[in-house]
Amino acid sequence: MKILVPLKRVADPDNANKVKIPAAGDKIETTGLEWKPNPFDEYALEAALRLTENGQTPKVRAGEVVVVTFGPKETEQTLRAALATGADRAIRIDTTDDKLDGDLVARALAALIEKEKPDVVVMGKQAVDGDSNQVGQILAELLDWPMATFAATIKEEAGALVVSREVDGGVATMRVKLPAIVTVDLRIVAPTSVYSTKTAATFKYNDGVRFAALPAIMAAKKKLLVEIKLADLAADQALKVEYKAFQAPPARKAGIKVKDVTELVTRLKNEAKVL
Amino acid sequence: MIEWSEMHLAIRDAFRRFVEAEIKPNLTELEHGDTPPYAVLRKMVETFGLADMARAKFAKDLAREARERDPGAPPRERKPSPEAGNEVAMQMIPIIELCHYCPGMVTALGVSMGLTARAITSRGTRVQKERWALPLLTLETIGAWAITEPSSGSDAFGAMLSTARRDGEGYVLNGSKTFITNGPYADTIVFICKLDEGNEPRERKIVSFILDKGMPGLTQSKPLRKMGLHSSPTGELFLEDVRVGKDRLIGETEEAQSRSGAKETFASERTGVAAMALGIVLQCQKLSIEYAKTRVQFGRPIGEFQLIQLKLAKMEVARMNLQNLVFRQIEMASAGKSMALAEASACKLYAAQAAMDVCLEAVQLFGGNGYMAEYQVEQLCRDAKVLQIYGGTDEIQVSQIARSLLAG
Repeated sequence: MKILVPLKRVADPDNANKVKIPAAGDKIETTGLEWKPNPFDEYALEAALRLTENGQTPKVRAGEVVVVTFGPKETEQTLRAALATGADRAIRIDTTDDKLDGDLVARALAALIEKEKPDVVVMGKQAVDGDSNQVGQILAELLDWPMATFAATIKEEAGALVVSREVDGGVATMRVKLPAIVTVDLRIVAPTSVYSTKTAATFKYNDGVRFAALPAIMAAKKKLLVEIKLADLAADQALKVEYKAFQAPPARKAGIKVKDVTELVTRLKNEAKVL
Repeated sequence: MIEWSEMHLAIRDAFRRFVEAEIKPNLTELEHGDTPPYAVLRKMVETFGLADMARAKFAKDLAREARERDPGAPPRERKPSPEAGNEVAMQMIPIIELCHYCPGMVTALGVSMGLTARAITSRGTRVQKERWALPLLTLETIGAWAITEPSSGSDAFGAMLSTARRDGEGYVLNGSKTFITNGPYADTIVFICKLDEGNEPRERKIVSFILDKGMPGLTQSKPLRKMGLHSSPTGELFLEDVRVGKDRLIGETEEAQSRSGAKETFASERTGVAAMALGIVLQCQKLSIEYAKTRVQFGRPIGEFQLIQLKLAKMEVARMNLQNLVFRQIEMASAGKSMALAEASACKLYAAQAAMDVCLEAVQLFGGNGYMAEYQVEQLCRDAKVLQIYGGTDEIQVSQIARSLLAG
């Protein structure tokens, strides 16, 4: 099976307080931010690796995992890390973050998919910076492929994937024929979430995403990483989403102490208006 | 070398992720509980494929030695090679990352995989290397290197009382050792002592033996209570008429020159301290900067006060110097050179003092909070002190440097 995994780097979500907005409010200041792979994209890569291996022999890849990212040269670090973790080759679509929206990314990916012809696109359900949650869905529409979103488990069958997602009060399971788009949620990296046809049903993975071994990090330098110009995939680079202004959330006000339950109830009713 | 390569940064990020996932959440237990560090260290070795790498390097080294023993072989030349530099970098990066939280773990790991294994690989027979050094290099076994005694510290060889007496084909060992890293748990112990031939103690030959846990007559104490470095178990060893065959004498010869062997070990031990100091300083600096930005006194973040700025600036100077020392070691290895003992001593002296200074400044910058265990600088400060004591005290480093300056 050939799998395409789109990856995005995001400002380190653990250091969100370092995000600065200049006085003009026209953008988010990215200098000085530490970049990390979007966590959901890391989960997508882990799911793709699990789908292309026998869990017992993770060094042998059955099929191909291709990773792709959009961004300047520095984003190749994200791709190299993915190659070290087990992806076979990487593609960087050269552009800058401020010239992208979900629609353009999906259109460029669709053009790339025409060339690469993967059996599955496995991607994070959303990036934790903009929280747009739309590229997978737009992509499925553009390609007219079946789509399974927020996957918590994936099981490979011949020519199809059985994908489950958690919903209120239970689990919804669907079978998508290949080729298909799957977007993953955080439960996808649990020990028994993803099984390829090669992995024994009794096998359990370590919880979470795998680490790259040191020799693999060194070998990643030699894996193929190609650059494609965004213009070669999307002639029309007009954005549909326009960011008008940015502003920081209002600082939280200090709390107050109430003297008794009566006052608490009164305030909840009259001031907070939650009762 | 002026900065880490992209590959080095990828390795750093991987270790950083491991440390944050496996060590940071368990720091209290590792530093204040009774849990030895070995399970986490073994997980690290497994996660990063370090055991396979150690096995491959071990086989390569054995093959090279076999070639060199061939009398027709040309003498070995150390050629410049970026590979050798990379090897050093890949030892340094995990040390730096672990020292952000647990300098003790580096000590436990370094004594086992480094000191103890190297004492065997550098002087041992092929059989000894395969039997004892390889399992140490893969961390299947834990090693201890026993030189210090209750009455012999800096004067390690002069005042050494531990003895080996010949006994038929083998030897009988007696003595006690203290401050032995991994001593309480070690599976393999390199025991350094003097060969008692009825001559004056000062004139006796130095010999080393390899001991196994549980040998009759060998007692390993419980961990000693220490000022810091709690994630590294330290203990005493007592040997009472421990009988060993010649197969446990390192090199299987009494002429194995353990004195110079130990000195080589000192040089390599000292160079690792720069990387440890760098890890400690990076963490102190990071915590101090965050604190200086967020701690408000007199209506302003304390980072706006010049006395606080001075502390941060001094930390930055130390960080730069330590970073350059680490780069220099990598460069030297790439160039096929190794550090003379005096230079290694100078590096160790500076690195240990820089780490201590930075830690004390960090505690001061944190004020009352800095004195509390809740804020991590308190632990790093206690841990850093050992860098000025073990692997040769600051005073011994000074005398090594001076001796080299005044010689000739």
